[in-house]
Amino acid sequence: MQTWVEKVILFVWCGFSYVFLLSPMVVVMGASLHGGEFSAAIKFPPVDPSFQWYTKIPMQQFEALGLSLIVAAVATFLAALIAVPAALGLVRSNFRGKFIVTTIFRAPLQIPAIVSGIAFLQFYYLIYDNSSLMLAGTIPGMLIGHVFIATPFMFGTIVAVLQRFDHRLEEAAHSLGAGKWRTLYRVTIPTIMPGIYSGGLYAFMVSFADVPMSIFLTAPGFVTYPVELFYALENDFDPSILASSSLVIVFCLVMLLGVQKMVGLETLLRSGGGSAR
Amino acid sequence: MENRWIAYLIPPLIVTLLLVAGSQFVFIQNSFYQDLGLGRTGTDLTLVNYLNFFTDSFYLKTFWITIKVSALASLFTLFLGFPIAYVIARMKSRLAMLLLAGIVVSTFVTIVIKVFGLIIIFSADGVLNTTLMDLGLIDRAYSIIGTQEGIVVGLMHFTIGFSVLLLYSVVVTVPPSLEYAAQIHGASRWRVYQRVIIPLCTPGFVVGGLMIFNMCMGAFTSAALLGGGRVLTLPVLVQRTVMMEVKYSTAASIAFVLLVSVILINLISLIAIRRLRSARLVIA
Repeated sequence: MQTWVEKVILFVWCGFSYVFLLSPMVVVMGASLHGGEFSAAIKFPPVDPSFQWYTKIPMQQFEALGLSLIVAAVATFLAALIAVPAALGLVRSNFRGKFIVTTIFRAPLQIPAIVSGIAFLQFYYLIYDNSSLMLAGTIPGMLIGHVFIATPFMFGTIVAVLQRFDHRLEEAAHSLGAGKWRTLYRVTIPTIMPGIYSGGLYAFMVSFADVPMSIFLTAPGFVTYPVELFYALENDFDPSILASSSLVIVFCLVMLLGVQKMVGLETLLRSGGGSAR
Repeated sequence: MENRWIAYLIPPLIVTLLLVAGSQFVFIQNSFYQDLGLGRTGTDLTLVNYLNFFTDSFYLKTFWITIKVSALASLFTLFLGFPIAYVIARMKSRLAMLLLAGIVVSTFVTIVIKVFGLIIIFSADGVLNTTLMDLGLIDRAYSIIGTQEGIVVGLMHFTIGFSVLLLYSVVVTVPPSLEYAAQIHGASRWRVYQRVIIPLCTPGFVVGGLMIFNMCMGAFTSAALLGGGRVLTLPVLVQRTVMMEVKYSTAASIAFVLLVSVILINLISLIAIRRLRSARLVIA
């Protein structure tokens, strides 16, 4: 049993950690509600709460948000196309050099994103030199980069689920007369679906939040939301970005609730961060 | 039967290999050509970019700062992350889910927004400075932008969510029954921490700490925004060399130095895992 002294220490320690962890997001959301004069625009706690900045979000930021959402969604889908067969093939088979193959699939995680960013930029320039196909600053170019950084997250979670998979389920399906494709679609895929969902969520969020890779692959008029925000913070900005940032935080909360409903947070915990890296 | 599963593996492996090898090969190769500025490069293979890096005190200082802030940030992150992980792992009520939700949301929200929040909190007329000045703890507004402390705080925000998830997976490997057993035999709670929980978690701390250190070494966004151009780390230097000086080969060589150091740390942590595992087996 824990003593009360210990409980108090843990409570204070945890409380401090949570204040540290959550305060920036709370402050951004709070400050976005500030309704006072333009000159004192960024203020926390807000004075005369209003939604004035939410009505003044410029089109440019919505376009950036739209691009980020599209890129993240398509990149997640493509990452699944790579990660699901890769994880199935790797967990189920046994061959020499399995360790090396695993390392290759996880490699993008070990490479700092900024290194991948400059690497893809130079890769695209090389392709351009040889075929006059310009990928930098285009949707396909952006997608390739995002698939690269997002896939290992999906791969990691699906491998974690597959390792706990009960093989007898497949054997049962087989002995009841299901063919190998039917077993795959009716038994295997549905059982690993929680892994696909939580891995997909991680992949989506990694892509949706990325700056270091995207910053090299953007072009004027073709900017993802985090990069747009990055440039705004580096130069100068007006409080409408507080409003759009708050919308993004709310979006993340909604995604979280969705996961809790669909697969439960525990799945995320078991298969998420720890095993992905 | 086995061959069928290997067939699944081949297409994704080809795609991944192409992406990994293609991209990494091109920039590593570029780093071995002399940089003539404005995106032009020499034609002969040379080590001149690396010689520049390792003889220029500016680059070496940047390298050192990167290591220093990353080490500090990973230590502090472990310190803040451990109690959360421990409490979530041991808690039986629904409240644990709420605590966990806080962690997961903070890993989802892009670091740019968190840095934005930090900038507001630490601004001259922000909450923190006015409170501290009212309390008489500081006599003039303190800014974290452009300081190493600022980067450390930013890196902590970048890694803390992940570190809690990681430490959670460490804490759950220590069954509560071990704690009860120690207490039945007369150990105080303090002694349980000292002799049971901490020793059993130490391998996880070491490996987790190295992973977090690695994340910090490669972290760009928080370091760029909170460094404010005055304090640079290697990832920030890579981006600035490309975007402001348009020196691709130089940037590639800096990126390669960064990549090699990160891979070295990975190898160390891999060896550490092996060592610690075998050490544990001997005890058991």
